[in-house]
Amino acid sequence: MFKYIVKRLALAVLILLGVSMIIYFLIRLMPVDFIQSKIDAISRGGATVDENMVQAMYEMYGLGDDSFGGILKGYVNWLGALCKFDLGTSFVYSRPVADIIVEKMGVSFAVAFIATVFEFLIAIPLGITAATHQYSLRDYVVTVLVMVGISLPSFFFGNILKDLLALKTGWFPPSGLIDSSVTNTGINLLLDYVQHMVIPILTIVILSIGARMRMTRTNMLEVLNSDYIRTARAKGLKERVVINKHAFRNTLIPLVTSMAGLLPTLFSGAIITEQVFDLPGIGNVALDAMNRGDIPFIMGYNMFLALLSVIGVLLADLMYAVVDPRVKLE
Amino acid sequence: MEENKTLAIEQEEILDLPVEPTDLPAEPVEIVEEPAAEAAAEENVPLDRNVRLMSPTRMVMRRFFRSRLSIVGLIMVISLFLFSFVGPLFFAESMHKETINGVTVETYTPDNGKWGETELDETGRLDYATAESTYTVDGVTYTVYQTTETELKDNSYSPPSSRHILGTDKEGYDIFVRLMYGGRISLIVSFLAVFLITILGVVLGGLAGYFGGWIDNLIMRISDILMCLPGVPILLIIHTLLEATNVPKEYRIYLMMIYLTFISWTGTARLVRGQILSLREQEFMVAAEAMGYSTGRKIFKHLVPNVMPQLIVQMTLSLGSMILYESTLSYLNLGVPAPYAAWGTMINVINDTDVLQHYPFIWVPAGICIVIAVLGFNFVGDGLRDALDPKARR
Repeated sequence: MFKYIVKRLALAVLILLGVSMIIYFLIRLMPVDFIQSKIDAISRGGATVDENMVQAMYEMYGLGDDSFGGILKGYVNWLGALCKFDLGTSFVYSRPVADIIVEKMGVSFAVAFIATVFEFLIAIPLGITAATHQYSLRDYVVTVLVMVGISLPSFFFGNILKDLLALKTGWFPPSGLIDSSVTNTGINLLLDYVQHMVIPILTIVILSIGARMRMTRTNMLEVLNSDYIRTARAKGLKERVVINKHAFRNTLIPLVTSMAGLLPTLFSGAIITEQVFDLPGIGNVALDAMNRGDIPFIMGYNMFLALLSVIGVLLADLMYAVVDPRVKLE
Repeated sequence: MEENKTLAIEQEEILDLPVEPTDLPAEPVEIVEEPAAEAAAEENVPLDRNVRLMSPTRMVMRRFFRSRLSIVGLIMVISLFLFSFVGPLFFAESMHKETINGVTVETYTPDNGKWGETELDETGRLDYATAESTYTVDGVTYTVYQTTETELKDNSYSPPSSRHILGTDKEGYDIFVRLMYGGRISLIVSFLAVFLITILGVVLGGLAGYFGGWIDNLIMRISDILMCLPGVPILLIIHTLLEATNVPKEYRIYLMMIYLTFISWTGTARLVRGQILSLREQEFMVAAEAMGYSTGRKIFKHLVPNVMPQLIVQMTLSLGSMILYESTLSYLNLGVPAPYAAWGTMINVINDTDVLQHYPFIWVPAGICIVIAVLGFNFVGDGLRDALDPKARR
């Protein structure tokens, strides 16, 4: 087990190195005068871009020196800073990128976490009923509905909900995270947050339920066809006990494993959903940064996402061994 | 397949028929017993009348068409194809070249009842804007409404009518015609992407699975790295990169999808590799080895065809996700440039709350088209998966 973890950690470092190389060279492919024009555009847009900051970025990435040695030096330089969690300074915000990521992550995490909880709570029972009533009308209805959910583009469905639940009926606020016209404190502030988060969360839940439900259904069907379920039924156990106690527990294995894989989704922010509802989450900030050419932020954000996925994959593999005693790690 | 043959022979023995070599075709067959088989067996009717032979293709087709969802999906996909590729021939007008004073310009014929993708309806309309202001005079409040009438050059925001089946958008383009051309972009781009992903995935996965060792290690580690690259953010960087170079705007979406294939082949490669790892230990591969076939022939003629069923399913399902990808990019304004249409771009206008609230006919049809396309491919993919699964007995 210990050896396996060490091996996986080494592999994770290797993957991160590869990812950082790709991201670095993508940025390096941009001509310097283009980067300069982007920076000028940001200053015209109102934000003051400090000349020292730009100089610092040029030095950090080793821009301007296009010889092989220069690129290599720039990469090593940037990587060194990265190891110290120094992601550079954002042009638009004039603050360290790492600080902005940590600050904006909260909103994205809250939305994603609540959405994930609801997703599991709804999708698992649906998947189980669909599996136990395979090929029945219920199975068909559930399957078709969740398939429609999978097929909806988030920007389209999010806007429909925004139109129906916020603009037409006025039940919920259409965008933002807080009502800026009143200053709320304590419980009222919390209620305000909740109100603003309802539609974004609803959007994410409906779009993501499908995949989870189908996963549950497939696993459940597989388990229901196994011998020990037949034995359980043969010895006269109640169907309810067979399903809930015997079958469901084994269905949990892949579900729990997939939870670790959710790590990136929890922290990275849903770019499109946050854009539609104008939530000040990390995805929205990143989209804005990319449109405005805030290169330090783009690079930092991408590395952050890559780190999350690497940890997610690693955790999923380890989790698999923890949950399922039959799995032996070498 | 082996099982079926013995089954047939056993039946022959039971029936006590004259021993004749049954001419089973060389390819694997499934023997479907008809309900009357037992009754007929008692009457000693020759075996081949009771047993129907089916080729695997027919078997798959039959299973596929038995599922109602697959048929619905197929109809959805085919009708969208007809709509996008055949529809413009009947309902849209294409540009024609005209030479005026030696200069060739491409124009549309005005007012012939048909609309082109980038043809503006220039009939003009009156636009009314009402401003409200309040005055308080001597303690009495008066509200004054002031309506401004503006004459607009283009017939924009026109609701559905006989002139424009689905109305016009905010520029004055015909929505119905633009839906067809938008469909072309989405479908072409996603087919292109899936095609490239499959080629890359099969070649790299095949090499990794067949050779194993350091080749396998190298390819799989590269795929590990690519899998950890974030999708949309990287595409945003690539778009900025394309902005910096002088690539014509029309081609950017194609280039971006090609870049997307470079990071998306990993799923297919893993699938192919996994299958080939188990297949290469089987007897038919030993036979291929003994025949002295070349490596390329062994991989692409003996191993890859065996992965085809899973590959087809994966391709169909990823067509749906590619359409979603393309429309998301278009929605973020990274797709085909302004005068041209794409489904995502047509929905992009909802960032204007006014359009979102009051002009649903502008953006809802494009959204429905996307949903139909993705849902159709998902239904077909699911149906194919069930139909191609040899364990499924339905």
